[in-house]
Amino acid sequence: MQNHPSAILGQVLAKYPASGGALFQVYNDLTLAQRWSDVQVLDLTACGRAAIKGKRPTTDTDQGPSTCVVVPCSLSESISTSWLRAAFTSLEPSGTEIYVAITTEDTSTVYYKISQGIVKPPV
Amino acid sequence: MALPILLRVSNFRAYVWDVDDINTLRSHHRICGILTGTLPHLSSQNVFLGLPLQLMPEEVVLLVENGIAVLADDPSAHHSPSPSLLKLWQEERLSDARQQIALTEEKESIEASNANRAMSESAQRKRKEREERRAHATVNTAPNIPMDDSPSPPPISENPSRLAVEESPDRAVVMPSAPYTVHVPASSSRLAWYAPHSHLYSSIEAGIWKYPSTLQERARCGVFRSLWEQGFYMGVGIRFGGEYLVYPGDPLRYHSHFVASVIEAPGAALRPMEIVAHGRLGTGTKKAHLLCEWNDETKVVSYFSVEWAGFG
Repeated sequence: MQNHPSAILGQVLAKYPASGGALFQVYNDLTLAQRWSDVQVLDLTACGRAAIKGKRPTTDTDQGPSTCVVVPCSLSESISTSWLRAAFTSLEPSGTEIYVAITTEDTSTVYYKISQGIVKPPV
Repeated sequence: MALPILLRVSNFRAYVWDVDDINTLRSHHRICGILTGTLPHLSSQNVFLGLPLQLMPEEVVLLVENGIAVLADDPSAHHSPSPSLLKLWQEERLSDARQQIALTEEKESIEASNANRAMSESAQRKRKEREERRAHATVNTAPNIPMDDSPSPPPISENPSRLAVEESPDRAVVMPSAPYTVHVPASSSRLAWYAPHSHLYSSIEAGIWKYPSTLQERARCGVFRSLWEQGFYMGVGIRFGGEYLVYPGDPLRYHSHFVASVIEAPGAALRPMEIVAHGRLGTGTKKAHLLCEWNDETKVVSYFSVEWAGFG
């Protein structure tokens, strides 16, 4: 029971109830479906919500898993570029890129990588 | 310092009619514009287009603010021609038409002496019809004179080239009825009564130009300028769902790396669905999407690059 997501996320769910649904869904998706490891919950006060940091598995055999930060958000929300900037500021000094996880009512979760500045797509 | 390029403004749109200017804009100033000229006889022409070049309003604002170009009030620059200028112009047209007809006849007389000339019945009939039409034309070049009073019609010969031209103060020059090509010049620069230099404006505050007038338009000018100053070439982004396509070099040589959209303020509402749509389309076309945020107070542009994460 201690390992149930609600126990782990309890504090931030109470602190940020508006984004609770999205956070819960993304946490489960990352840990169970995407199989991320070393998952931690971060409190982004500037953003008014919690984020999830963890190691994302990679198909590259010579490269180890990379650490990424995911900010959950629901499809029905209204965000802005200042919201994105706040997410980056909260993560400094290590924030060059974040993943925005967008959740829907049918539990689909899509992830988009957002980088600050003009960053070329990979070839 | 080069002379500023004339952007000919008509109905709040700027056009470039001189090929040399178009070349300079592209190679020296990284401004490509869009060619919009079509030929009247081709109905679905949309691959190869000609003059004039049309510029995006953001391009015009940048060029004028940087002193590279000036705005010309094109409608006002076309003065009414004086009677003497008009007469000169008509005479030039007439002499051009005559020259063409003379050359055509010369060509036909060369063909007549050609042993391989078509002698079939249909070829002969067509030739006869052409000659009759031309003979008819020479008699009809003075339309106000009744047929009986006309001087005896000139003898019908192989090469009828008599042109009756009447000139009077109240009647225009009459053009020959034999076929010739009418040349319509693309640029007005060679018209004697076109005088753009007395109708130039070196600021976008001129009455003939209204862009930018809203926050959205100011944001677009700001973003365009910011991208341009970093050395990029910009094209229209509609093919990829954005405002601009951002190229690292001339669009004829490179594919664009980015599709840019303009966010008019840091607090402007952004829907997560837009991130999904822009991100997925960008990644699906080997590009990244660029969210370009304009801050109207600090006049600074901030960029966020969006890509599909590849998982989830």
